[in-house]
Amino acid sequence: MVTEQDIREVAEAARQIRRDVVSMIHLAGDGHPGPALSVADIVAALYFKILRVNPAEPLWEGRDRFILSKGHACPTLYAALARRGFFSTDVLPSLRSLGSILQGHPDMQKTPGVDSTSGSLGNGVSIGLGMTLAARVNRQDYFTYVIVGDGEIQEGIVWEAAMAAVHYRAGRLIVFVDHNGQQSGGPVREVSGLYPVLPKWEAFGWHCQEIDGHDLRAILTAIERAQAEADRPSCVVARTVKGKGIPFMEADNSWHKRVPTKDELDKALAALA
Amino acid sequence: MSGMRMESTRVAFLETLTELMEADPKTVVVFADSVKVFRATPEFLQRFRGQVFDVGIAEQNMVATAAGLATCNLTAFVATYAGFITMRACEQVRTFVAYPGLNVKFIGANAGIFGGEREGVTHQFFEDLAIVRSIPGVTVVVPADASEVRQATRALANTVGPAYLRIGSGRDPVVVDPPRAFELGKIRRLEDHGRDFVIFANGYLLQRSLEAAAQLRSQGLYGRVVEVHTLRPLDVTGIVQVLAESPAAVTVEDHQINGALGSAVAEVIAEHGIGRLVRLGLQDVFAESGDAFGLLDRYGLGVRDIVQAVERVVTKVAATAGTR
Repeated sequence: MVTEQDIREVAEAARQIRRDVVSMIHLAGDGHPGPALSVADIVAALYFKILRVNPAEPLWEGRDRFILSKGHACPTLYAALARRGFFSTDVLPSLRSLGSILQGHPDMQKTPGVDSTSGSLGNGVSIGLGMTLAARVNRQDYFTYVIVGDGEIQEGIVWEAAMAAVHYRAGRLIVFVDHNGQQSGGPVREVSGLYPVLPKWEAFGWHCQEIDGHDLRAILTAIERAQAEADRPSCVVARTVKGKGIPFMEADNSWHKRVPTKDELDKALAALA
Repeated sequence: MSGMRMESTRVAFLETLTELMEADPKTVVVFADSVKVFRATPEFLQRFRGQVFDVGIAEQNMVATAAGLATCNLTAFVATYAGFITMRACEQVRTFVAYPGLNVKFIGANAGIFGGEREGVTHQFFEDLAIVRSIPGVTVVVPADASEVRQATRALANTVGPAYLRIGSGRDPVVVDPPRAFELGKIRRLEDHGRDFVIFANGYLLQRSLEAAAQLRSQGLYGRVVEVHTLRPLDVTGIVQVLAESPAAVTVEDHQINGALGSAVAEVIAEHGIGRLVRLGLQDVFAESGDAFGLLDRYGLGVRDIVQAVERVVTKVAATAGTR
């Protein structure tokens, strides 16, 4: 059951993560604020309510796994990990700088708590499938969560993995599609023939749900339902807004990859106060 | 060829994998509808059903799934045709296995024109070694025959990190008989009759190199044949020692001349200022379908080609010595 307390905690975590994200990208002078902000609520829900993880022992064998397959959204992941105690928040400003543990895209060997290297699109579902299968070999009962972008699922390997995950009855694999409707080159609808999204996953045999990806209760409830699905992998198509939380970034795809100026940063932080 | 003893490199791999999976339940294998390629029987699949995964004809998914398995402290073998690993799934090999340094062992079958033979260019892979050799941290091994596949598979299972093992068609001659000890990362001196020349070779072509050396001996040229089965880590010290004694060198490989053995030896020669080289291999061309032995002959990898290459390089070295 999802409580009001749960929602308040996740909402506060998400707000803090968003503040971190825009600050980090401003300082780094490079990054993808729009895509990072669209997944912030889902990532906050996972790290602050769902994932069984131990920040003191990031490689604990029984932990739940999380893969941010759309790795360019990683400032959100880094902020969540730092706020959750995997490493100091003092590290966050070093994003993308030489020698930092926070690479431009996630590096599982450099950053405590990052379960998989990612950033080259399309691979997270396959890697997550491997982790799910490994749980059986290792007799563990963890869940593996993956976030893919809607542009990202144009990659063929996603559907290779979608097929194999059903074949292997990967019930403990839960994939979120961050469906913000935008990709680097413009609206997804204009770039590809991807639509309709949800029926594709259904046709592959996945347990499917469609939710508002910024409705925290909906996110938490969808995860509970997905966890209950024992024999099929689950897909949650989360309708999101790129740049969510910062009015001047919402629905402006130039923020796919763009650095806020000091003035824009101040405005963004004010919006997230 | 009829007198040649044959032993399948594919079966040798699968038998060794069977031993490894028996001994260690944390050793797993991922196929991409390549179960039959490796002669895996229904009994094998049933017995190891918890350790064998077949993701269907989907090589990128095969490699990325193996990466996921390997992040969970498993040793993951990945086995299918050489080019489907190194080309179709090249980026997954590089970014999701090699970059994090995961314990995934790639087994590439049908390598070279000898391994790909009748199916033709789509299933003959003669760029695989150049590709994996350019990816940081991947151990690269080219065994000559089934016995060496067994030894190399065990050696790779005992080392941590990504590796690529190149094997053949399943119709593979025994090259080193009786088998000799294999040491990962070290050259093997197989024949040593003098310092007139050295032939560096690997894979089945080691056999033809040995035949060429014997023929050269009958012509009064006495040299040695050195097997370079491990392209990474390359035994630079060993190669330099050999070149110091025998500067007239020929490389013989079932691969494009660029990027693999010939290039590796050329790099050593250039950086150490020692030796003179002729490279035999595919001379920047695509091959075609045909009989395996006939293909090698057709594409400049016959015993006679090796003999002539040695004669050429010996003459060059002598000429250089004369001008000093």
